[in-house]
Amino acid sequence: MNTILDILSFLFNSIVFPGLLFVSVVGMLYVGIDRKVTGHLQHRIGPPIWQEFLDFGKLMTKEDITPSAAIGPVFTAAPLFALGSLAAVMLLLPVASAQPALRLTADLIVIIYLLNIPAICMILGGYSSGSSFAIAGAGRYIVQLLGYEFVFILSIAAIAVKVGTLNLTDIVSYQAKNGWLLLDWKLLPAIVATLIAAQGKLLRTPFDIPEAETEIVAGPLTEYSGPKLAIWRISYNAETIAVAALLVSLFLGGPTAYTIGNVRIPAVVDFLIKTFLIVMLTTVVRNIVARVRIDQALKFYWTFGILLAAISLILVMVVPQW
Amino acid sequence: MTMVVPIGPQHPALKEPEYFRFEVKGEEIVDVDIYFGYAHRGIEETLARRNYKHNIYLSERICGICNICHSTCYCQAVERVAGIEPPERAKYIRSLILELERIHSHMLWLAVAAHEIGFDTLFMLAMRDREHVMDMREIISGGRVHSATNTIGGVRRDVTPEQIPKLMEKLDKLEESVKYYINLFQTDRTIKSRCANVGVLTKEDAIKLCAVGPVARASGVKTDIRVEDPYAAYPNLSFEVITEDDGDVLAKGMVRLREMLESIKMSRQILRELPSGPLRVPVDLKIPPNEAVQRVEAPRGELLYYIRSNGTEMPERVRVRTPTYASAPSLKPMFVGGTVAEIPIVLWSLDVCFACNDRVTLVDAKTGKVSVVTMEELRRWRK
Repeated sequence: MNTILDILSFLFNSIVFPGLLFVSVVGMLYVGIDRKVTGHLQHRIGPPIWQEFLDFGKLMTKEDITPSAAIGPVFTAAPLFALGSLAAVMLLLPVASAQPALRLTADLIVIIYLLNIPAICMILGGYSSGSSFAIAGAGRYIVQLLGYEFVFILSIAAIAVKVGTLNLTDIVSYQAKNGWLLLDWKLLPAIVATLIAAQGKLLRTPFDIPEAETEIVAGPLTEYSGPKLAIWRISYNAETIAVAALLVSLFLGGPTAYTIGNVRIPAVVDFLIKTFLIVMLTTVVRNIVARVRIDQALKFYWTFGILLAAISLILVMVVPQW
Repeated sequence: MTMVVPIGPQHPALKEPEYFRFEVKGEEIVDVDIYFGYAHRGIEETLARRNYKHNIYLSERICGICNICHSTCYCQAVERVAGIEPPERAKYIRSLILELERIHSHMLWLAVAAHEIGFDTLFMLAMRDREHVMDMREIISGGRVHSATNTIGGVRRDVTPEQIPKLMEKLDKLEESVKYYINLFQTDRTIKSRCANVGVLTKEDAIKLCAVGPVARASGVKTDIRVEDPYAAYPNLSFEVITEDDGDVLAKGMVRLREMLESIKMSRQILRELPSGPLRVPVDLKIPPNEAVQRVEAPRGELLYYIRSNGTEMPERVRVRTPTYASAPSLKPMFVGGTVAEIPIVLWSLDVCFACNDRVTLVDAKTGKVSVVTMEELRRWRK
C-alpha cells in the first residue's frame, strides 16, 4: 500500500507539482511577463503576458521537420532530455516548503549536474543539426559554458563552505535560523558572481552570444521548428525558473510560509515572489546593456567573475565566524 | 585550414539581399569576397525611357531612406542641363529637407547599429526619437518618408510661417535626445567594447579606396560635397565638417551623431533666414543636347548624377552613382583581421544601402563565370 502511494506521489511530483507541469506553466508565465516588461522598458507595448502559451500552442500545431543533414535521433532527443532534466531538478529544489520532493544527501552536486544538461543538449542539438550557424552557435556555447560554469560552481562552493554542507535543505534551514545569506557581507561578492553566471546560464544579454541573432541566426536552435522548438521554448522557460529557484534557496532564504494577521500565506507564494524578483533582475540587466563578444565574455568570467567568487571563498575560509 | 562562412543573400544581419563570402580561420576573418547585384531593378535604363517630370518620381524611388537626396540631385542635374536657376527660397527649402533627411537617416543608422550589437533597447529608443524627424517631414511635405517636394526648377511645397514654431519645438526635442545618445556612446562600456578598435579603416586606405561621406570623415579625411561643391543653400549656411581620427566603428558612429547636431543647427538657421520669393521657375522640358554632372552629399556620402539630354523630353542617359557603391571597396580592409562576431556591426558601420547600388551581374551557373552587363548590351537587347 505504502509503495503504491510512494509511486503515485513520485509520479505526481515529477509530472504535476513541482515537476513538469508546474515549472512549464510558471516558466511560460514568467517569461511572458519578462517580455512584457522588456516591451515597456523599450518604450513599446510588448506582447500579452500569456504570449508564451500562444507561441507554444502555435508551434505544437506546426509541421515537425528534421533536416536531412541532421543526425535525426540526437536532434530529436536533445530537447526532450533538456526538459526532462529540468523537471528532475525541480524535484530536488525546495518549492512548496523547505523540504524538496526528493531528498538526497549531497543534492547540490546533483542540481549543478542537472542544470548543465540543458546546455549540453543544446550544444548536441546544434552540432547534430547540420547547419553552419548552429555549429558556430554550439561552439560559442561550449566556450561560454566554460566561462560561466566555473564561476557558478565556485560561488556555490563559497556558500557551501560557509554553511558547512552540500545539502540544499540544510542551507535553507540554516538561513531560517541565521538570516538570509544575502545579508552576509562575506558572501556578497559570491552572490554577485552567481547572478552574473546566471545571466550567462540563461543566455540573456550581454551573454546571449550563442544565439546572437544578427550574427548566427538563432545559434544552435537555427534548424529547430515546430513541436521540437516548442519543447525547447518550454525547457528554456523551465530553466529560467529552475535557476531562479536555486538562487532563491541559496541566498534568499528559500520558500518560507508567513502568517500575516490570521491569514497563512503558503510557502509556494513566497517562492513565486522571490523567483519573480530574480527573473526581473535578469530582465532589467538584459535591457540596459549590449551583447559582448565571446572572447570578451570569457575574459570577463575568468577575471572578474572568478575574482568575486574567490574573494568570498577566501573570506569564508579565513575570517573566523562571529 | 579556412572555412567559408556565407553571409547572405538571406541573413538576419542584412536588411537587403547581398552575398558576402567570408573565409574564416576559427573566428578570424582572413578574406572576404563581396557579390553585389541581388537587388537590381533596372532603374537607370527606365530613367532613359521616361520624360524629365516622370523621372523625379522614379529617382525618389531609387532609395527609400535618402529619397530627397536622389530627387534633389536629379532635379539639380536637369536644371544644370537646361541652364536654369531655382529661386532662393526653393534652395533653402531643399536644404532644410535634405538636412532633416540626414538626421532621420543617421537616427536609423544608430537604431540598427544598436540592434546589430544586441542592444535592442537603444534600437527601440532611437526609433522612437526618429519619430520627431518623421513628424517634421510630415509637417513640411505631408509624407513621412517620400516627400515629393522637389521639382525641376524649384520646390512644390512651401514652409508657412505657422509651421516654423512647431518645427523649432521638434528640433529642440531632437537636440536633447541626440545629445543623450552622444553621451551614451562616449560612456557605455558594452557599446565601447563592441565598437572601439573594430573595423578600422586607416586614413591611407580611406583615400586609396575612395571612401566617401561619414566613412571617410571617420578616418580623418575632411571631405564633404556641401563644402567642396556647394549646392542649394549651403554656401550661405554656417556649419562644421565633422571628422574623427580613429576610423573604427565608434568613430563612424560619433561622426554621424555629431553630424546630427550640425544638421539641427543648420535647420534652425534655415528656418530663421528663410528668404521670401517664388517657389519655382517655369521650365521647358524640351532640353537641347547637353550634359551635366551633379553631386550631392547624401547621408551616406557623395551621390552623383550624370545626365545627357538629346533635345527631346526624355534624357538620353542618366547615370547614378550611390555612396554605398563608392564605399564598398573599403569594406575589405575593415573586415580582414576581425572576427565573425564583428561582421554585422562592421558592415553596418558603412550604413550600407544596397537597393540603390545594384547593377546587373550575370553568373553562369555551370561554370561560375561572372560577367557584368554593360549599357551597350542592355541597349542592344532593348531593340
